[in-house]
Amino acid sequence: MSKAFVRSIKNVTNGYSSVQVLVRNATSNEPSGPSVSEMAEVSSHTFDQGEFLEVMDMVDKRLNDKGKNWRHVAKALTLFEYLVLNGSDRCVHWAKHNLYIVKTLREFTFIDDHDKDQGALIRVKAKELTSLLLNDERLMEERRLAKERNGH
Amino acid sequence: MSLKSETDLQVAIRKACSNDETAPKRKHVRSCIVYTWDYKTGAPFWKSFKLIPIQNNEIKVFKALITMHKVLQEGHPSVISSGYRNRDWIESLGRVTPGEGFKNYGRITNEYVGYILRKLNFHYRHPGFNGTFEYEEYVSLRVVSDPNEGYNAILDLLSLQDYIDDLQRLIFASVGESRSSECKVSALVPLIAESYGIYKFILSMLRAMHHSSDSEELLEPLRERFVSQHARLYDFYADCSSIRYLNSLVTIPKLPFDPPDLLADDADAPPL
Repeated sequence: MSKAFVRSIKNVTNGYSSVQVLVRNATSNEPSGPSVSEMAEVSSHTFDQGEFLEVMDMVDKRLNDKGKNWRHVAKALTLFEYLVLNGSDRCVHWAKHNLYIVKTLREFTFIDDHDKDQGALIRVKAKELTSLLLNDERLMEERRLAKERNGH
Repeated sequence: MSLKSETDLQVAIRKACSNDETAPKRKHVRSCIVYTWDYKTGAPFWKSFKLIPIQNNEIKVFKALITMHKVLQEGHPSVISSGYRNRDWIESLGRVTPGEGFKNYGRITNEYVGYILRKLNFHYRHPGFNGTFEYEEYVSLRVVSDPNEGYNAILDLLSLQDYIDDLQRLIFASVGESRSSECKVSALVPLIAESYGIYKFILSMLRAMHHSSDSEELLEPLRERFVSQHARLYDFYADCSSIRYLNSLVTIPKLPFDPPDLLADDADAPPL
């Protein structure tokens, strides 16, 4: 039985909304992803007040996941950064308000069965994102550039 | 996986202070930090800590100190003020490991307790600083507008930096080759962050003061101490970068070999 199938059952039994299912698929334990199109779809949902909260709720859960699910955390960070740059202004506010969640990931460690530290990637991503969130000028500039790229 | 209740918090603290001779697990330390931000209070953290039996084991006590230090640094600001109210209890932790202890934690525990108490005292006297002394412009502006206060703040920071230096030397002296030294080495992680924060703060405050006041002689003693601290800090970071465990976990700051010019403008000064 594939993991994707189990996930689709969990989505139903846990009563996740369609937007939350999108986030869960984008940040799954699959080795690849999240793809840009997946992230773009999630970010388009952050412009709606209700859906925004659903998205952030799920991103929050994924960011706080345990070490074994380090892929959840890594992918959630990727998605989160994308949302901060491309999503609605609310994403930026939420990120600044909850900065401690990302900040504390800067020392994330997880040693897997092969004695490999899978936390390195997360530590780098968290450091990057923290410095971006603390630098208003750069953040605004990057958001402007992202807007141009998306053709708005 | 945010914690839901104080019972969860107690579990996290207990797991962070287990009796394995390793670093406190980041996962549990992080849970404590996130809890203080989620509920915007530090009181439950200290309250829960007191309920957990750690006094019977020197490793647990030492891990407790590392955990506390981390939460003081990264947690909600109220952890610092409620920590100040629990000074007596923290002090009592310094007395539980007699002499050197069985695994040589006695002295470093004692020194660590002393350091945390000094840190709490410092924050009490200078409430403008956050736990990791991250640079906040307004503090240095306020300090410059009142040179006496600025002078005192820098003196206090310099003393705190001296204590960090003593503590790190003691830790390095007690670290052996074995794998179990990870527990002692992990105490260096918050010390690296803190010493660098203090260093940057002293540097920018001293620069600002050199700009605003004309009496260079008056600042001479501060300058001298800063220059000697710079050299010691340079060595400290060099020692740290030789430890693989530390290197992979945190970015160890690299200071220039020569102390920076305090009279230079902040803008043209070489970046840190």
